[in-house]
Amino acid sequence: MNFFLSGLSILCLGAFLLLFTARSPRSQGSRRISEGIFLSSLISGCLLGSVAALGVLIHRVPIDYRLNLRMPAGEFYLGVDPLSAFFLLTITILFLFAGVYGCGYLKDDKEKNLSVHYAFYHLALISLMLVVTAKNAVLFLMAWEMMALSSYFLITFYDEKEAVRKAGYLYLIVTHTGTFCLWIMFLLMVRQSGSLNFDQMALASFPLPLAGVLFILGIIGFGVKAGFIPLHIWLPHAHPVAPSHVSAVLSGVFIKTGIYGLMRVLLIVKDFPEWCAVTLLLIGMISGVGGVLYALGQHEIKKLLAYHSIENIGIITLGLGIGLWGQIAHHELAAWIGYAGALLHVFNHAIFKGLLFLSAGSLIRATHTGEIDHLGGLLKKLPWTGHLFLVGSLAICGLPFLNGFVSEWLVYRALFEGLFHFKLNGIVWSSLAVISLALIGGLAAACFAKAFGAIFLGNSRCVDITRVKENSALMYVPMAVLGGICLWIGLFPAVMVSFALRASATMTSSTISSMTEGMIIAPLGTVVLGLLVAVEIMAILILFKRISTKFLPVERAQTWGCGYSMPTNRMQYTAASFAQPLLDIFRNVLGYRVKGSKPKGYFPGEGKVSSHVTEAAEDLVFRPAFELIKSLSAKLKIIQYGYTQLYLFYIFTFLLILLIWKMV
Amino acid sequence: MGIAVLAHIIVVMVLSPLLLGIIGKTKAFLVGRWGPPLLQPYYDIGKLFRKGNVYSTTTTWIFQAAPVVFMATVLASSVLLPLGGLKAPLQFWGDIILFAYLYGLARFFMTIAALDTGSSFEGMGASREAAFSCLAEVVLFLDFIILALLSKSLVLSRMIEGNILSSWQLFGPALLLTGASYFLVLLAENARIPVDDPATHLELTMIHEVMALDHSGWDLAYILYGSAIKLFVLGALFVNILIPFHGLSPTMQTMIFWGGMIVLAVGLGIVESCMARVRLNRVPQLLISAFVFALVGLLVVLIKGV
Repeated sequence: MNFFLSGLSILCLGAFLLLFTARSPRSQGSRRISEGIFLSSLISGCLLGSVAALGVLIHRVPIDYRLNLRMPAGEFYLGVDPLSAFFLLTITILFLFAGVYGCGYLKDDKEKNLSVHYAFYHLALISLMLVVTAKNAVLFLMAWEMMALSSYFLITFYDEKEAVRKAGYLYLIVTHTGTFCLWIMFLLMVRQSGSLNFDQMALASFPLPLAGVLFILGIIGFGVKAGFIPLHIWLPHAHPVAPSHVSAVLSGVFIKTGIYGLMRVLLIVKDFPEWCAVTLLLIGMISGVGGVLYALGQHEIKKLLAYHSIENIGIITLGLGIGLWGQIAHHELAAWIGYAGALLHVFNHAIFKGLLFLSAGSLIRATHTGEIDHLGGLLKKLPWTGHLFLVGSLAICGLPFLNGFVSEWLVYRALFEGLFHFKLNGIVWSSLAVISLALIGGLAAACFAKAFGAIFLGNSRCVDITRVKENSALMYVPMAVLGGICLWIGLFPAVMVSFALRASATMTSSTISSMTEGMIIAPLGTVVLGLLVAVEIMAILILFKRISTKFLPVERAQTWGCGYSMPTNRMQYTAASFAQPLLDIFRNVLGYRVKGSKPKGYFPGEGKVSSHVTEAAEDLVFRPAFELIKSLSAKLKIIQYGYTQLYLFYIFTFLLILLIWKMV
Repeated sequence: MGIAVLAHIIVVMVLSPLLLGIIGKTKAFLVGRWGPPLLQPYYDIGKLFRKGNVYSTTTTWIFQAAPVVFMATVLASSVLLPLGGLKAPLQFWGDIILFAYLYGLARFFMTIAALDTGSSFEGMGASREAAFSCLAEVVLFLDFIILALLSKSLVLSRMIEGNILSSWQLFGPALLLTGASYFLVLLAENARIPVDDPATHLELTMIHEVMALDHSGWDLAYILYGSAIKLFVLGALFVNILIPFHGLSPTMQTMIFWGGMIVLAVGLGIVESCMARVRLNRVPQLLISAFVFALVGLLVVLIKGV
C-alpha cells in the first residue's frame, strides 16, 4: 500500500506544482519546467502504482488502507484487491505511455496553456486510481464525479471549436445522467445492507427482486460510461474531438471504469436472477455487432476507432455475461474463464486501442487530416506510425500472434463451457454469443483491413504527402512499447492470463488452484507452439524464395492498370467503396444510404458519391425524445409570467395544500 | 512430435495439388474433353517457381509477405487436422478457434496486400472477399457449435473422430444439414463456383483471382499452392464429418479417407460443371441459406436433447 499511496501523493504533488507554472503559459522556460514536472511525476507515480498493483496480483493478498481525513460523509477507505489491482495496472500503464506521447503531441501548440492540461491529466489519473480502489460508496461517487469533470476538461482542449464544445456538453450531460442512476443504486444498496463500505455490503444478502433492480440501475449508470448501445451516443462525438492521447486514455481506461463498477456491483450483490446474465449477453452481442457495423461506415479515423471501442466493450460484456451465468449456475470454471476473458480483454483493449489512437494522432499530426478517403501510401512516409498501426490492427482483430487472440480465446472457451454444461436456455444464449463473436471478429478484420489499407497503402488520394515525415521519438517510442506489450502477451500469455484468473477468482470469492490455472493456460501454450510451426514454415518459405530469386529477374514497374493510359490516384478503391458490399448487406439495420450523381453522357465528366450511416440511437431515439421533452416543457411555460408576486402565490398555495394534506 | 508435424506437412504438400487436378479432369470429362493432365497443378506451380517477379512501385513489404503468410498459416492449420490414419500432431482444447483465426490472419494479409497495389481491381476483390468471408466464418462457427455439442469436446480431432458414428445414428439429420452448410462454406472459402469462378480471369466477376492479380513468380506460386492446400484441408474436414470411418483399423481409415477425398474432388468438379456462378449480390443469400441449414441442424440437436 505504501507504493500505491506514494504514487498517489506524487501525482497530487505534481498536479499542484503544475498549477504554479500555469501562470505564464507562453514563456519557453515555464513550458520546459511544466513538461519536466509533468513527465517526472507521471513516470514515478505510474511506476509506483503499477508496482503496487503487480504486488497484489502476484501475492494475491489484498491491501486495505483507512485514512482519517475529514470527509462530508463516508470515510476515506481504500483497498486494492486483485480485481482493483488489475484495473489499476491497466490505468497506470496506459496513462504513462499516453502521457509521454501527449507531451510530444502538444509540444508545437504555442497558444494553449499546457500546464493546466497536464494538471487535469494528473487529476484524471488520481481520480481513476481512487475510483478503482475506493471501498466506500461516497468516496466512490466523489471520485466518479472528479473523473467526469477532469475528463471533460481534458476532452475540451480545443474548445475554440464549436464541435468540441458541443461534444463536451453532451459528455457532461450523459455522464451525469448515469451518475444519477448510480446514486439511486448505491442508496438502495446502503439501505439494504446498512453500511457504506463495500466489504460490509458484500456480507449482506440482497433478495432477488432487489438484485434485479440494482442490476438495471447498474447497467444504465455504468453502461452510459462504458458505452453500451444504445447508451453510447456520447462516445462517437467525444473521441474524435479530444487530443489523441486523451482519446487513447478515454477509450482505453475511462470507459473501463464502467466495466469495473459493474463488476464491483456483481461482486457485492452475489446472487442474481438468470435474466441478468441474459441481459449482459444480449448487450454484449448488440454492442459488439452494432459497434463494428457503425465503424465500417465511418470516414474519419478517430470516429472509426471510437466505434471499435464500443465493439470491444461488447466483447468484454459477453465475457461478463457468461461469467455471471457460470456463477448463477454454480459452474465455477465457466465463471472464472468468462470473467478472466473479460478482464484480460479490458487490459488488452486498453493497450491496443491506446496504440491505435496514438498512431491515429500521429498520422493526423503529420498530415493534418483524419479523413481516411483522402489519405494513402503513408506506410513509406511514416514507417513507425504505419507499422505500429498494423500491429494494433492485428491485435484488435483478435488475430493470432497478438494479445487480442488470447482474450477472445478465453471468452470463446467460457462460452463453449456454457454450451456443454448449462441447461437449454444457457445453450441457446451461448450459441448466439459464439456466433456473434465470430461475426464481430470477421467484421473487425474487414474494417481494419479497410482502415489500414486506405490510409497506409496504395497511393495518396487527395492529400499531398511529399513533405510528410515521421514524428518525434517522444511520440513513437511509447507507441512502440505498447506494440511490444501486445506482442509479448500474444506470445507469452501465461503471466497476464494468470493475473486475470486471480482477479476473476475475487469475483467468485474463491481461489483457483494452481492445477486449474495450469489446465486453463496449457492450451494457450500449445497455441504458441502451433504459431511457432507457422513461423518456421514462413522462415523456410522466405529462405527458398530468397535463394532462388537471386537467379531470376526482378523488375519494378507501375501497377498494371488494364491498359488505361492515364491512371490517377483517385481511381483506387477508397475505404467507403471497400466497405460498400458489407454495409449493403446490413443496409436496413444501419440506415446505409449512398447518394450521388453520375457523369452524364459518354465521356468522362463530373460525378460525386457520398455514403452515410444513420446513428440510430442518436437520430431515432434520443434526439426525437429530447425534442418531445422540449416541446412539452415549452407548453409548461404558461405558468411563468415573470411576476414575482405570482411565484409567491404559487409557493403560498403549495404550502397551503401541504398543510391541509398533513392535517387530514 | 516435430517429426510427426513434418510428416503431416509433407503429406499435405505433396498430395494437395492432386485435388485440383482431379477437379480439372472431372470438369473436362463432363464437357467431353480430355482436359489437362492430372498433375497439371504441379506443372503450373513448378513453372511459376522458375519465373521472375515484377513488383509495383506502389507496393511495400506487405505485398511480398502476404503469400508467405498465407501458405504458412494454411500449412500450420493442417497440422491440427487428422488425415485418415494419420493423427493430428497438435491437438488441444479449443484448437478450432486457432484453426478458424489462422485463416482470418491469412485473409487479412491477402486483403491488405491487394490494397497495397493501389489498383481498383485488387481493391474490388478485397472488398468482396472481406464481405463474404464474414458471413462464411459465422456459418463455420455455427457448424463447430453443432459438432461440439454432439461430441462434447472442443478438440478438433475429437469433434470429428470421437463418437461421430453414434452421432450419425442418433442425429443423422443434424449432421446432414451441418454437412450441407459446411459444403457451401467450402465453396465460398475456396473460390469455387457458385461463389467465384477460378477458371476465368475477368476482374469484374472474381473475388479471389482478382486479389492475386498483381502477384507474379514465386509469390503467385505460393498463392496457388496455398489455395490448393486450403482446399485440401477444408475438404479433409468435410470428409471427416461426412464419413464416419473412425474406429476401424488404420489402413481401412486411410483408404476410406483418401477415397472420400477423391469422391469430394469429383463432386466439386460435378458441382462446378453443372452450375453457373451466382450473381455477386446473391452470394450473401447463398451464405445465409447455409446459415439456415446449420441453424435447423442446431434446432434438431437441441430439441432431440443432447
